[in-house]
Amino acid sequence: MTPILELRKGTKLYRGVAAVKDVDFDLNPGEVHALLGENGAGKSTLTKMLAGVVEPTSGDIFISGEKVALPTPADALKNGIAMVYQETSLVPSLTVAQNLYLMDDKPFHRLRGIYIAGQQFLQSLNFHVDPAALISSLGAGQKQMVEIARAVHHNAKVIIFDEPTATLTPEEKYQFFALVGRLKKRGVSIIFISHALEEALQISDRITVMRDGEHVVTDHTSNFDRELIVQAMVGRSLTEELYGSFQDRQTRQPGRKVLSVQNLSMGDVVRNTSFSVFAGQITGMFGLIGSGRTETAKVVSGVLKRDLFHGGNVQFEARPVRYRVPRPAVKDGIIYVTEDRKSEGFFETMSIAYNIYLGALAGGQADSPIISMKEMRTLAEHWTKALNVKAINADAKVIELSGGNQQKVVVAKALVQKPKLVIFDEPTRGVDVGAIAEIHQLINKLADDGIAVLVISSYLPEVLHLSDRILVCRQGRVVEEFDGSQAKEESIMFAAVH
Amino acid sequence: MGLLGQPTQEKIVLALALVLCLGFALLLPGFWTASNLLNLVRSVSILGILGVAMALVVIGRGIDLSLVATMAVAVAWSLQLAESGMPMAQALAFGLGFCLLIGLLNGFLIAYVEIPAIFATLAMGTAVYGFGRYFLFSLDIVYMPPDAHALTWVGQGTLFGVPAPIYMFALVSALAFLFLRYTRQGRYLRSVGDNLLAARITGVPTRPIILMQYMISSVIGFLAGCVTAASVASMNVRISNSTLIYDVILVVVLGGIGLSGGKGGIRNAIVGTLLIGVLLNGMTIMDIQYTVQNVIKGIILLTAIVIDTLLNPRDEQTAQQGDI
Repeated sequence: MTPILELRKGTKLYRGVAAVKDVDFDLNPGEVHALLGENGAGKSTLTKMLAGVVEPTSGDIFISGEKVALPTPADALKNGIAMVYQETSLVPSLTVAQNLYLMDDKPFHRLRGIYIAGQQFLQSLNFHVDPAALISSLGAGQKQMVEIARAVHHNAKVIIFDEPTATLTPEEKYQFFALVGRLKKRGVSIIFISHALEEALQISDRITVMRDGEHVVTDHTSNFDRELIVQAMVGRSLTEELYGSFQDRQTRQPGRKVLSVQNLSMGDVVRNTSFSVFAGQITGMFGLIGSGRTETAKVVSGVLKRDLFHGGNVQFEARPVRYRVPRPAVKDGIIYVTEDRKSEGFFETMSIAYNIYLGALAGGQADSPIISMKEMRTLAEHWTKALNVKAINADAKVIELSGGNQQKVVVAKALVQKPKLVIFDEPTRGVDVGAIAEIHQLINKLADDGIAVLVISSYLPEVLHLSDRILVCRQGRVVEEFDGSQAKEESIMFAAVH
Repeated sequence: MGLLGQPTQEKIVLALALVLCLGFALLLPGFWTASNLLNLVRSVSILGILGVAMALVVIGRGIDLSLVATMAVAVAWSLQLAESGMPMAQALAFGLGFCLLIGLLNGFLIAYVEIPAIFATLAMGTAVYGFGRYFLFSLDIVYMPPDAHALTWVGQGTLFGVPAPIYMFALVSALAFLFLRYTRQGRYLRSVGDNLLAARITGVPTRPIILMQYMISSVIGFLAGCVTAASVASMNVRISNSTLIYDVILVVVLGGIGLSGGKGGIRNAIVGTLLIGVLLNGMTIMDIQYTVQNVIKGIILLTAIVIDTLLNPRDEQTAQQGDI
């Protein structure tokens, strides 16, 4: 069988560094092909070469056996290859139908005409989206549907999905899988990048694993299991070490009550939630997207101001507190480590050393009005060593580091402020497997040292692995509490969705 | 690369200024003389001082379009007060107070009311000019009282043969440099410009810092106004409606201080000022029309930005998701 899409000896260099090295990749007609690998493995670059977004430094692309050049995404689309990105490429201020027909070669569209055509077309795909709705009014799942519909409308024979399920709720995920099945029946071939191994095992026909820009293995999905994939991804068996035997683990006893939240509300997002966090213990907070976990943490630490529709009270160290900005919370010892390090975690124009030092300046640990280069060096040296930040030296810019090392710098900036309560929001999101283990170790050490730790995560194995106590959030409030050593995956998930 | 390291916009602009200097020196008689060079720097000193003020605000991811209007009205008011019999020192104190108040208002609107800086300061500039023109003085030009010798020196005096405005420019630059680099507030300002949300979460007092940055720019502006008034013994309030404010922004952007905040330093503002100085001086010696000079200024700015973009391309890959 001739593959519908094939890349031979594909290489892409960025400033002399290979993001993808001599990779062979092929996609059969009507196949779902999962592409797996750690962050930085080269998955995105590989698919972007196929979609005409990135030009290969060397290597050839073949469509149904014929050699082609794809200098732009429009060329790829003409050849039937469409890519659906993590961040959608839809125009938010236009309607669904306008977006669908945006790239047709027609100078004008009659709105009524495209709404009717759009309605029929969306129905034929079994999508329940109003063609006259503005894109900006849609949820993540619906936007993705429109994006897929657009690809189908352009007669795409190959659709490439970059992390399609990362932003979807469980129901939307289910719908997405059903859709992949329907697309397959229509003869569309699919490439599917994912971090979620279970999904790949569930819906793909073949799996390719990449590591450090190189091709590791391609085989039929039935020949893989979770363990084998992880081994191929990391080149060593880490699952046991990472998420292994959390069942027979010793849990820590709670120390004094550090944080106590009673009947806290904020708008529609946080609804009458109550919980406590104790010193010397890791409290895990699990919940699906939209369960108000992050917002609760942000209200407690002053990052979000409670608006008019608020209520409830927060006690920190047996003292009622109410923060309108994070600064007094930081001064009191409540540190929030963000889930979105790029937009609110670190300072990209500054070096590692300055990032850490700024934490000390703002937290009052380095409180002279004139800054001291010596103090900065000492701090930077101490923390880069303690957290094993891998960089050429402390003068390297944070933006140049890998996701895991960026996260370590953000954590160092928080820990330098000598917290009494640390709130980690998705501490290992977008972090490579090796660094995940190190960050988990660090979180454990903090609790062992007597600090109160709250870990928010939407990855169940992580919560189970780390937590001494587990709080489950649903619809803006903590609905159930589990003991870390006794909790079962199924019962936590049950509490989170019902 | 090599000895010079990564070519940045700052280095390109400096090189461009040196090349222009060399060209003018070889081709234009009278350019490469001590008196002309001093005159060159002198002529851009005020622009340079304003550039430093603007640089501080832009590094903090803001912009102060009311800078020139505030300086003109505050200084003109001071002169008006002095003319009507108030001691010069007291009159200047009133002017300075006016500047601080406007800076505070700007900062309040931007930090607490959360209006975009460009609108807040644009409106403020117009309001300040109108207010001054209607309530504070009746004529567009306010003259300096003849007995203000101390102030006159700032604009017209010399020390060791070097005109006083150059000293003022050097002094303001040095202070701003030290502030930005070695004080805690300076680091805070840069962190706010780099990433406001991260600064807030880290515990930086972001709103007070924004207030501070507009107050500082107003005060430096007042200083620039004093030098202006002293060198021509008057203050023409119409300067608020001139293109001076755009020249100030030109100097800042040309030197390589990104409008997106956090990038560059005082050095960049100085380099930008020098290039403009060399260019204007050379063109004046060559007797090029003022309107043509504007065209050339615009082209130079575009060229500098294009070269910077070519040498330091924004890496879409890292800029968007950081995942290769």
